[in-house]
Order: sequence, then structure tokens, then C-alpha cells
Amino acid sequence: MILYDYILSPDAYKIRLMAALVGVKLELRAVDVHPGREHESEALRALNPAGSIPILIDGDLILTESAAMLVCLARLAAPAWLGGNDVADAARIQQWLAFSLRLTDHLGGARATEMLVEPGDLPALQAAGTIDLRELEAALTERRIIGQTFLVADRPTIADIACFPYVALAPDGGLSLDPYPSIRLWMRAIRMLPGFIEMPGIHRLHELKPEPVSQLPETV
Amino acid sequence: MPVETLRDWIPVALSADLPPATVIPAHTPSGILALWRSASGKLTALADRCPHRGMRLSYGFVRGEALSCIYHGWSYGLTGQCQRIPVHPELIPPAAIKAASYAVEERNGVIWIAFEQPETPPPALEGFKPLRSITLNTDAERITATGEMRVLLAGIDVLLLIVGIGVGETLAHVMVDAAASDVDCIAVSRAVEGWRRECEQLGLEELAS
Amino acid sequence: MTMAHQPMIDQWYPVALASQLPPEGRATQLMGMPITVLPGTPVRVVTNDGRDLHVIVRYGHVWTSLGKPSKELFDIPEADQPGRRLVEVGVVRVRCSPLRAVENFLDIAHFPFVHTDILGAEPHTEVGKYDVEIRDEEDEVWATKVQFYQPQAAKSASGGITTDYMYRVPAPTSTVLYKTCPARPGEWDVITLFVQPLTEELCDVWPWMALFDDETALTDLIHFQQMIFLQDRSILENQIPRLLPLDPGREIPTRADLTSVAYRRWLKRHQFTYGAQLVAQ
Repeated sequence: MILYDYILSPDAYKIRLMAALVGVKLELRAVDVHPGREHESEALRALNPAGSIPILIDGDLILTESAAMLVCLARLAAPAWLGGNDVADAARIQQWLAFSLRLTDHLGGARATEMLVEPGDLPALQAAGTIDLRELEAALTERRIIGQTFLVADRPTIADIACFPYVALAPDGGLSLDPYPSIRLWMRAIRMLPGFIEMPGIHRLHELKPEPVSQLPETV
Repeated sequence: MPVETLRDWIPVALSADLPPATVIPAHTPSGILALWRSASGKLTALADRCPHRGMRLSYGFVRGEALSCIYHGWSYGLTGQCQRIPVHPELIPPAAIKAASYAVEERNGVIWIAFEQPETPPPALEGFKPLRSITLNTDAERITATGEMRVLLAGIDVLLLIVGIGVGETLAHVMVDAAASDVDCIAVSRAVEGWRRECEQLGLEELAS
Repeated sequence: MTMAHQPMIDQWYPVALASQLPPEGRATQLMGMPITVLPGTPVRVVTNDGRDLHVIVRYGHVWTSLGKPSKELFDIPEADQPGRRLVEVGVVRVRCSPLRAVENFLDIAHFPFVHTDILGAEPHTEVGKYDVEIRDEEDEVWATKVQFYQPQAAKSASGGITTDYMYRVPAPTSTVLYKTCPARPGEWDVITLFVQPLTEELCDVWPWMALFDDETALTDLIHFQQMIFLQDRSILENQIPRLLPLDPGREIPTRADLTSVAYRRWLKRHQFTYGAQLVAQ
């Protein structure tokens, strides 16, 4: 599978992350989105008329929406990430995949404006992003009340991966995550998953690695 | 329970939001602290600023019984004393390298801090259990003058601990009747969202008038 | 802006990538002053009240000054060396003092924690002794004989190596790093950070590189540097205070921070204090 990729794109990161978590090897093609605007070039428009990144190609299949790519990777390599057979859970996953597009628009828009100096109405994007974050926080709080950690089912699913990147990078767009304790714990649970990989702006959880013992001072 | 002196306890977080080996930024009326729980469960509240380069310690990481700064890995123990400077592994850090630490106590699922050691423990809030903490974009004084209010939400007895943490920014710790079921708790959690919208709307209208 | 900042007003600053100027120009600001960078031959930079500023196009960027620069733009001789690839990395906005952005670039001790498994990794955290000087003739800060273990030193490096570095500060918000060139031993790769001060607490950062590397795709080179700088950004936006403290009591340097100590001393000596905090608050 070939992924047309951009290291700073949270949508592209969703696919790299999902592939890493389920053990699929992707062939990455780096696209010079910034500053080159290569995603708007004719060669890439031929693959994706919308001119957006990422693009996933698997034989004849060309996907340009990250939610569809997550479904594709899960079906191929790890169907458990699609949740169980429960009707409500299946619907909830679709709900969160659709919700993740709002995150792209609002949190992603704020980030592009604030960090990459692209045009945008920053206060309006941040206000809309705050409503999204509150909705997610409320949902995750309800999950915690019934003893659950992830958005749907009793395990991580593509719903979590679809929502995680833009939320984790909200501070890039000037939105603090301090007001959201349930989001904080959920992000930590995702970052602790075996096979998890970072992207710039999401730091390594150094606490998962023990302090290098040989270097400890003798007393303090 | 309005915060009047440095010796007053300030509720900053719920215990459940700070598991072992984690750190969070704890917002208070006087600024942010790095509040962390060691792997063995001990709580510490430190000034949220690494003395080395000013990086916020609440962005750091907890290994064992120490909090490390994310920038250069300088680690601080339960008293705030710097224990280790990775760039100079053989060096025992001088005693002067220290992050200020503050009184912290946990009672009935709520974590309280004080800038100077108070004479009495924080309130027990008997009959209630913690549900969630939320932030409101409005001034605390618009909600309550006392820092504490009892309301009925979704038909359940609710106690709100209110702390102003900045201009137009208020923290509310939501406590529910200790006998509330999971279903009740979810209902209150939803009702709290509505209560927040009401408070913020009221604040906007007051500003407009 | 007060006269106190005159020494910095008289410096050159990057304000655009010459190759990326939109037809309508780039509306931006420099030290709080709104300006527009206009494409054309020659490129012009104008203030809102119609004043034409001094302009130089060099190292892929448009440089300007609000004042009267007493010196030419600093020289990077390697930029004209045949065989090097010149890499325009683009712009990243950071909510921090322009001086903090430069100081972070001069620091290696953070590599294992911020650029984990790329530029550094535990337990290789120790920084050995290196040389730092303020060179009087060039009036530049230099750090030499810096060495550090890197798991992946550059895009073209596979596996860990001990990498040599030299750091140079030729202007208050511009810095040049020379590092081991994996593809051509004996030469130095050049990586720069050109910082445009928008205000004292906000800057646009323009990394730029001149590398010997015929293997790696240009886009991969750009992305490697964007990745590194974006890892720094969340640090830079969370340092307290936002301004760079020049009061020695405010922060605690160690031997590994001697480049930063010299940089701060040099800033103070020249009254390059736009973005600095002079007295602890």
C-alpha cells in the first residue's frame, strides 16, 4: 500500500499510526505540502481532485478520505479495530468518524492558521473547536463512569484513531487541553498502546521507559 | 469557602483524574502548579517552572518517585529538590536547584492544595462523591460568592466547588450524592453541560447589559 | 517601539521566501510594524505608510530592515559552494520570543527528550566540554568542538553516530549550525534558523539548509527539518517567561549551556534586547 504522506498532516498521521498499531507496512511518498504546495499539483490532482493529503493506494483502490483508509486498514489487518457486531457500537463508530471531520475543520483550521500562517478566522475556529472538545470530554466522561477507557466498545477502535491526532495537537492551534481531564486520560491510554508512534507536536511518553539506572547519583 | 488567605485549601482536581505516575497542570486563582502523583501514589504540588530554562514542569513525565522536565530531563523529587541532571550524569545537583513545593492533600476523592500549610485539613464533603471537573468561560463571582453551591441537577443532589482561575475562567468540581448510581451520574454529567451553557450565557448577557 | 531597541532595528531580518511570494505580496510584520513584501524585480518591502525599506535577497529569503543596517548581511560562504543542495523549509509561527527560538537552536542537551531517537536518545545524555567564544573580529558567537551521540543524525544517516557540531550566531535572530556531513566526510552540512521577530513574544521561523546529499529526495530533507522544528515548538510555547531572561539569577545554566550563556552576554553587550527580559519579574 502506498501512502502519499505529509509529516505535519494529522490526517496522514492517522494512517501511519493505524498502520503501525496493526502491523501494516506502508510505502510512504512524501508530498511537499508546505512550502511547495505539491498536493495541489496536477500529478496529485489526478489522484485526488480535492488536492488534499493523505492519499492511500492499494492496487486499483484509491482512497482520499482518512476515515475510509482507517476502515480499509482495519478490515485488512485487524478487524477487532472495527468494534464488535453490536448495532449501537457500529453506529457509534460512524458517528465518531463523522465527528472527526469537524475536528479537521475546526482544530485543524486553527492549527493551520496559528502555526503555518495560513488564512483563517482564528477566534471562530477556536470557538468551534472548543465546542467539539467539550462534546468529546463529555462523552469520554460518560465512558469512564461505566468503567470504559475508549470511545466505543471495551477496546480501542478506529473511532479513537480518527479523533486522536487533531485533539492531541489542539495546542498547536492555541487551544489548551488543560480543561479536559477525561481527554487527557484517553490520550494517555492511546499513547500507551503497543506499537504507538508519535508525530511532531506529540511527545514520547518517556515515563514508559525506566530511568537509565547506571547514571543515577548515589544520594540525594 | 472563598479563597481569602494563602492558608486556605483550594480544590484543584479530582483524585481519579491523576493516576499514579502522571502529572497535570493544576489551575489555582494564583496561577498554575505542576501536580503529580508518584508511581507509589504520593502527591506533590510544585511551581510549574523548571528552574533551568523556565519550561513548564506540568509538561513533564513521572518515573518512579520523581518528576522530570520534558525539555532536558532534569528530575525533581517529592520535596521539589532537583535529583538528576542528565546532561551531567555524574553530578549531584546542588541543594539550591529546587522547585518550590506547596501543601497538598487528598480527601474523599478531591485533591486540595494550599500555598502555606493550613491549620486544619480540607473539608471531607461527606455524603458526596466526585463526578467530574469542568471549566467555564465566565467569572467565578458571577456563579457564586462563596465558592461552594448546592443544586439539584437531573433530580440528584449536587455540590459544586467553584474556583476562579483567571479572568473569565472558572473551574467547577462536581460532587454528586454518594448514593448516586452510574445512570444517575451520567444524567448529572449531561445536566452539568446545560448548567455550564446557562452560566456562560448569563455571563454574556450581563456583559452586554 | 522605543529607541532602546535601535540596535536591533538596524539589523537584517528574513520576511519571506523569495520563491514563494504570492502575486499580491506577503502582508506581515516586523518588530510590531506592519509591512508588505512585494514580488517583482527587484523585490520590494514597504511599510503601510509607503516607506520603501532596504532589501536583500539571499539564502532563498527576502531580508529587510526597519532601520539603517551598518553591516552587510552576514556571509555563509558554504551557500555558494558547488554541489550543495539549498533547501527552503518554509515558515512556522511560534508564540515565543525570537531570542528564545535562537537559544533553543543552540542547545543540544534537549535532543534525547525532545527529538527522541532522532537527534538523541537516553542513556546518551551527557554533553562533554566544548569551546565557546565571542569572536571580536567578526563580532559573532561561536561554539566549536561540540560532540553528541545521535541515533539518526540526518535524513541520510542510518544508525547512530557521534556527530560533531559548530554553532554560530552572526545576528541576534539568525543562527547557523555546522554538523558532520554523513555523505561527505570532511565537509560540514549547514543548517540555519532565520527568525523574523513579529513582536517581542511572537515570531515566524524560517529554517534553511545547504547540504551535501545527493541521495535523499528534496521533500524528505524538508520534512526532516520540519519534524525537528515542530518538536521544538511545543517547548518554546511553554517556557516561562516568554521573553528571554537576561538577568543571570532567573535561570540556572550548567556547563553544557555555555553557548547560551555567551549568546545572552553578547545580546546584552550590544543591547539586542527586543524579546528579552532585563529584570526578573
